[in-house]
Amino acid sequence: MIELNGLTKQFSNGKGIFDVTFSISKGEVFGFLGPNGAGKSTTIRHLMGFMKPSKGSAAIDGMDTWKDAAKIQEKIGYLPGEISFLDGMDGMAFLNLVGGMRGMKQTAYRDELIHRLQFDVKTPIRKMSKGMKQKVGIVAAFMHEPEVIILDEPTSGLDPLMQRIFIEIVMEQKEKGTTFLMSSHSFSEIERTCDRAAIIKDGKIVVVENIHDLQQKQRRLFDVTFASEEEAIRIKQSSLDVVSVTDNRAEIAVQGDYNQFIRALGDFQVRNMDIHEQNLEEVFLNYYNREADPS
Amino acid sequence: MNMTLYAKMLKVHAKSISSYAIGSALYLLLIIGIYPSIADAPGLNDLMESMPESFLAAFGMEGGFQHVSDFIAGEYYGLLYVVILSIFCLMTASQLMARHIDRGSMAYILATPNSRKKIALTQAIVLITGLLIIGITTALAGVIGTEVLIEDKPFEAMTFLNVNLVGILLFYVISGYSFLFSSLLNDERQALGISGLLTIVFYGMDLIGKMSDKFDWMVHLSLFSTFRPVEIARGSVDVWPMITFLFLLGTALYAVAILVFSKRDLPL
Repeated sequence: MIELNGLTKQFSNGKGIFDVTFSISKGEVFGFLGPNGAGKSTTIRHLMGFMKPSKGSAAIDGMDTWKDAAKIQEKIGYLPGEISFLDGMDGMAFLNLVGGMRGMKQTAYRDELIHRLQFDVKTPIRKMSKGMKQKVGIVAAFMHEPEVIILDEPTSGLDPLMQRIFIEIVMEQKEKGTTFLMSSHSFSEIERTCDRAAIIKDGKIVVVENIHDLQQKQRRLFDVTFASEEEAIRIKQSSLDVVSVTDNRAEIAVQGDYNQFIRALGDFQVRNMDIHEQNLEEVFLNYYNREADPS
Repeated sequence: MNMTLYAKMLKVHAKSISSYAIGSALYLLLIIGIYPSIADAPGLNDLMESMPESFLAAFGMEGGFQHVSDFIAGEYYGLLYVVILSIFCLMTASQLMARHIDRGSMAYILATPNSRKKIALTQAIVLITGLLIIGITTALAGVIGTEVLIEDKPFEAMTFLNVNLVGILLFYVISGYSFLFSSLLNDERQALGISGLLTIVFYGMDLIGKMSDKFDWMVHLSLFSTFRPVEIARGSVDVWPMITFLFLLGTALYAVAILVFSKRDLPL
């Protein structure tokens, strides 16, 4: 459904995207991972026909994303990464504008989405919070039930409850055969919904892989609190990858083999366990190596 | 063009269009209102003669005022009309394109099955509609105002309408290059700044050229040389060459703007 073929765009400052190649088949939910500034949005802008590639091409449903940009939009729903609506109208007026420009007649699904995401469409846009704007943007992307939905950082600004509702909506549309491309800078955000994912770094695709394989490869840090300091020191002798020990707490890195981790901990008195929030570079150290600065 | 977008955009800009239109009409009525007292003032033409020739020439006032239409042309169309319409064209043009590109809201407009040409054309028509509303309201205020407020004074309705026609076409060109910069640039303030600067330079060149013989070549480089309200009001110039020139230039500027916008990379 979506086909990227050596897509390259170099900006005057030398940055850009280079030889980006992957394809997404119909009905697939595809994650697009990378830290800020890696080239996710630039790639998506090409898919939307906002930019002309310097080299290579991209196609959606067989149509070139630059030459047939207007025609492709009939099939696409899009949520931009930076939400900025038009001034001087409320949420409903904005949705009516976008719907009207699409020639959309059916509003039943739109109204259902508004109801499920629970927001007041009569709020003037300039008075909306970031999360509320995100909801309006999601409705605008989904309301015409397009064949392809492209979402740039869809859950930013949504509270956990709304994130769950959002995932439900994505899964429902997936059932109907909708193809998704979803970008994110956090793996946990996409692992629940995506089938496959690509990781991009400095404008180049590092890997395109099945989500389960990626889950195996992610490196997670657990903060384990033991009953005593001795135990915390003793854990160092085990086969686990102990990153650091402070007092009775140890930081343990786990990659793939959770069973071994649980078995090893079985001999200890564990008081508390917590997962570290990590950024993408830390989760996929093996892809990002050590050269990526922790920003 | 896309009717939904056109209607919404016109609604968003309705407030500013109507306030410029009402402001311009009221000011014109005020000028018409003071005409009788000025025309009957015995010392006025003496006073005008005492002023430097070049100064009068700069504001198109040489030879005194014989008719109410001359007076309006000199007093209103010579300066305030130009200021009001310039501000409207510059502001609205930068808001219709560059602001949406700058803020990213253009992404939503383009994420609909409408070509960029169609979108840009729609926005251009919104701007031209606003200009026409203000221009026609002003012209009507002039015609009706002189009818109601002035008695027994010769008023040349035909030449007065010519002043308005050339005036509107002059701003068709000014809005045309403002729209071009607005479609070409990613920064709203930059677009506004460049088109504003160009307008001021044109106006300044016209003013200096008329005041000083040494710099009279400047007049011909200025767009404002096509708009001589007092001369048009007196019927002493043939307006058709200017009308044709301004219409073609304005249309070309809008066409280039739409084409440029449809071909360029957008940072959305």
